[in-house]
Amino acid sequence: MAGCLLGTAALGVSACGSSNSSSSSSTPAASGTTSSGASGGTVDVYSSLPLQGASKDQTNAMVQGIQLALSEAGNKAGSTTVKYQSLDDSTAAEGNWNAQQVGANARKASSDKKAVAYIGEFNSGASKVSIPVLNSVGLAMISPANTYPGLTTSEPGTEKGEPDIYYPTGKRNYVRIVPRDKVQAAALATQMKTDGCTKVAVANDKDTYGAGLARIFDTDIKSKGIKLVSDTGIQKDAANFRAYASKIKAAGADCFFFSGVTANGAVQITKDVAAALPNAKLYGADGICESGFTNPSKKGIPAKIGKNFECTVATLNLQSIPGGPAFLKSFKAKYGTDKPDPYAIYGYEAMKLTLDTIAAGGTTRDSFLTKLFATKDRKSVIGTYSFDKNGDTSLTDYGLYDVGPDGNPTFKSVIKATAG
Amino acid sequence: MALQDAQVDPPAAAPLGARPGDAIRNFISGYGLFAVLLALPVYYGISDLKNDGNLAHLGQNIFQGLSNGAIWALIAVGYTLVYGIIELINFAHGDVFMIGSFTASALFGTLGLTLVSSTGSIVFGLILTLVLCMLICGLLNVMIERVAYRPLRNAPKLAPLITAVGLSFILQNVGLLWQGGSPRSVDDLIHAQQDVFTFLGITVQRADVLAIVVTIPLVIAATTFINRSRLGKAMRATAQDPDAARLMGINVDVTISLTFLIGGMLAGAAGLIYALYQTTVQFNQGFQAGLIAFTAAVMGGIGNLRGAVLGGLIIGIIQFISDDRIGTQWTPAIVFAYLILIMIFRPQGLLGEETREAG
Amino acid sequence: MATTVKKKPLAALEDRFPKLGRGPQAVLITAIAIFAVIFPLLMDPISGTLADATQYLAYVVMGLGLNIVVGFAGLLDLGYVAFYAVGAYCSGWLMSSFYADANIHILVTGTAAQAPGVHVNFLLVLVIAAMLCAVAGVIIGLPTLRLRGDYIAIVTLAFGEIVHVFAVNGDGIHPFGVGYPLTKGRDGISPIDQIKLPGLSQFNSYLNLRPYYWTILAIAAIAIFISLRLRDSRLGRAWIAIREDEVAAASMGIPLVKTKLQAYAIGAALGGVSGAFLGPYLQIVNADSFAFSFSIFVIATIILGGLGSVWGVVLGSILLSYINYTLIPDQLNSVPHKIGLDFNLADVSIGIFGVLLLFVMLIRPEGLLPERRRKIELTEGIGAAETSFEVST
Repeated sequence: MAGCLLGTAALGVSACGSSNSSSSSSTPAASGTTSSGASGGTVDVYSSLPLQGASKDQTNAMVQGIQLALSEAGNKAGSTTVKYQSLDDSTAAEGNWNAQQVGANARKASSDKKAVAYIGEFNSGASKVSIPVLNSVGLAMISPANTYPGLTTSEPGTEKGEPDIYYPTGKRNYVRIVPRDKVQAAALATQMKTDGCTKVAVANDKDTYGAGLARIFDTDIKSKGIKLVSDTGIQKDAANFRAYASKIKAAGADCFFFSGVTANGAVQITKDVAAALPNAKLYGADGICESGFTNPSKKGIPAKIGKNFECTVATLNLQSIPGGPAFLKSFKAKYGTDKPDPYAIYGYEAMKLTLDTIAAGGTTRDSFLTKLFATKDRKSVIGTYSFDKNGDTSLTDYGLYDVGPDGNPTFKSVIKATAG
Repeated sequence: MALQDAQVDPPAAAPLGARPGDAIRNFISGYGLFAVLLALPVYYGISDLKNDGNLAHLGQNIFQGLSNGAIWALIAVGYTLVYGIIELINFAHGDVFMIGSFTASALFGTLGLTLVSSTGSIVFGLILTLVLCMLICGLLNVMIERVAYRPLRNAPKLAPLITAVGLSFILQNVGLLWQGGSPRSVDDLIHAQQDVFTFLGITVQRADVLAIVVTIPLVIAATTFINRSRLGKAMRATAQDPDAARLMGINVDVTISLTFLIGGMLAGAAGLIYALYQTTVQFNQGFQAGLIAFTAAVMGGIGNLRGAVLGGLIIGIIQFISDDRIGTQWTPAIVFAYLILIMIFRPQGLLGEETREAG
Repeated sequence: MATTVKKKPLAALEDRFPKLGRGPQAVLITAIAIFAVIFPLLMDPISGTLADATQYLAYVVMGLGLNIVVGFAGLLDLGYVAFYAVGAYCSGWLMSSFYADANIHILVTGTAAQAPGVHVNFLLVLVIAAMLCAVAGVIIGLPTLRLRGDYIAIVTLAFGEIVHVFAVNGDGIHPFGVGYPLTKGRDGISPIDQIKLPGLSQFNSYLNLRPYYWTILAIAAIAIFISLRLRDSRLGRAWIAIREDEVAAASMGIPLVKTKLQAYAIGAALGGVSGAFLGPYLQIVNADSFAFSFSIFVIATIILGGLGSVWGVVLGSILLSYINYTLIPDQLNSVPHKIGLDFNLADVSIGIFGVLLLFVMLIRPEGLLPERRRKIELTEGIGAAETSFEVST
């Protein structure tokens, strides 16, 4: 920046920065509505994900999915050319998402007059920062991963004032293609009832996602008459969790649920619990339902423990979904495997949805937003869905996965969550 | 630069003769430390006696803490050796340990060690892995000294701190590229959590045996080497007064390299034990481990080998008691609170520091 | 406001460098100062560059605060993140709907006056944050008074980590009664009230960053001014005396306890002010931000810039923030793609950061702009280094 400042002083403004459009409009509020792009022109799409640090494996998968959708379409949506840029919301020093980076990414997109969509964030906490920024300029945001309910609704498990505090203009601009925690928590609780759990121990990673999901799950599981032994927030980088494991063993737990993401100590805690309770059933949500966690050859949990493990993801059996086999084929052609992680599938669908919305005439921010919220009965690789007025998907079916012979999460059945 | 003896209060207070407060102060500095150290075990011991009628639960906590602490002790010895000789917090040390773990997990694959291998080949393979891990980490540590610290030996005192941080980041990146960002399972070759025997209600698992069986000989070997051998004497002489050591014909550069070699080798051994004990490795494990080990080194008295071992074991116990009774999410705070209390009662660490400035 | 304050450090600087002549130096500083003030007018009000600049200035303020503790007084503080946390939580507690059951409004207007929760005027929050952090600085400083050198480092580090653990787990602590948790953990308190200041209209971190930029520029200017004045004051000389030789300083009649605690308090207060600014600016107060790595980042900025050197710290903070927040994530990432390589540079970003730190320190071990007093010592030291093993500073 120092060099940038000095250089700019000498050479003029345009020498500096990558995102500044040289306009110095004094009516910033107008900038959202002045975006113009007729079909046949070019529009910009951004994604903002933590590409560094512990969650980079998942976000790389997501970017792969996004790029696959783009290259399938030849970077075109209808007659409009789509320029995609992947932004990073993490920093080297922290290796984690960072509020400053998220804000900068959102501002970069919102000051780009040609931007029509913003795919992100990966972390629900980060979306709390970027939603209001994008909302102020009416730029659409599509999250492929956020499940925290408070971003869109005020149902139980959210904080007072949510979600309106995130939308300063009052007009919604955020949709998510994954069902919110309420649905997944109910699905998991239903499955545990089916499996005959009597005493469930829950550990969460204290992230917005993990803690939020656990909070809702706790009430669900109790309402099903199953005893909740404990819900513990863990220190994600602890060396081991043996003391925790012997504690829940003493409490007589027969089922264990880790609510969090792989990077936050998931493998270690699952192994320690399995060592203390060899017969306990182990559960996970979509945060760990990926091959990096389940596959021993990718250094996930050992096969012996994998036998007792089940997890839920909002994707169903791809082979039986219209367009599913074709997706698998092209994924295999590009990346050499036909077992994409759920994250890759969500990334793919987020971009596909963006492209289809642009092709349907959403070439300006306003029209994109209108078309996006009008999405109805969309047939996609994650199932057929619509968006409600809050931007939530209508998908409610969760896929139950277990660990297949190849070590990857393998579709087992559909869970129809019962109310609770 | 500072007070010759860290125990002495600001000079004005020293020569004033006995004051009424002194008796209390002496009492606190004499026994306060023990009170602090015993607070957790005694409290939970009493509650165990009330609830279970015996101390088996607490004994189990302490025993598992000891075996866990053995790993920290090995890393802490490396910290304390390096600090003793060049007075530098080697921030990259934890990451050398991480590379040790990664090397071990990679070597298991190379050597074809799997869960189905025969006992003999596993034992042989593990010994080979141990030697290789120690060698690789030792040489890595020597290289780090050569690249990042030696050119800065005459630089301002804090400059090497930043190169240390820089190297720590570089090593973490190596780990990140090598094994990815997510935690990685290591084959549980020794069936770490299988019980070996139970004594007085305390269950001893294979992992505990491994940690203790590897740590004790290594620490004894390192201590003996430093106390008895010629090179060890050179190390101690350099630590006390590098100029005088040089005048006496000691090659200071070689001696410093040797110190880093030994520190790195112990970190490599710790890396292997960690991989077998925890059975999970992650690129950023060195950060947390380094912080704990550094804390252990300071707690025991920096520059003091036995102190580092004691500090490591104490932290291991505190961690286990806290994990079990208070909750894992509070453990770092408990460990650091302990550190602060020990620093208040005994600023030179439990067994006293052995550095130039301590005299 | 900013320009008037800027003039004084300028004069002080001229006094510092009489030999360099007033001409070129003064022109350069004036040019930079003027440019810094009009810079946002040349930018889109929500441009990324402006956002980055605002952020860098916030880190300049933190760097200057830590420089008082480490650079001036020679107390190696590795837990500076604690003050960032306390300052940021001040804005989280006092400028949001976090405590939705409470209804306290002090000197606020607009939407904040209607919203539930505690809403206090930003200037008051700044004062509260500064005072709270000064107290925290004294509390953290007290146990270190008897310690020397690196023991101070580990105790401050320990406090920093404890604050972090409390920030992460604070959602389970209810010190002020049920419904009033200490923090919101890794979830983050969000959103925070927009700042409102007389004279500067329309603070809106979503649409117009200019007022934010000018506010932090003014704070940074004040911090530079305070640093320069302190350095040349009686107190500043006492700090440097303690840094160079504690025993000698004490025997010259410098009260060690008081002088050291003043350094902790003032350094902490600056960190708190910056934290209280970053709360409303970033719109979130999130426990994950308060990790040890941030302390390392701030200490790296000041060592890189030149320990004890006010202008060096300013330069170091800006440069390192640029590398960490702009160069690596934004600009380098697109390079492989541009030259047609299918390679994700984010994979090696932390390594690049490490290599940069390593090289800069190897090339300029005394920092980019070393303090004048130290520079003299250093040249003496290097001359004597043939026989001396280590120059103690």
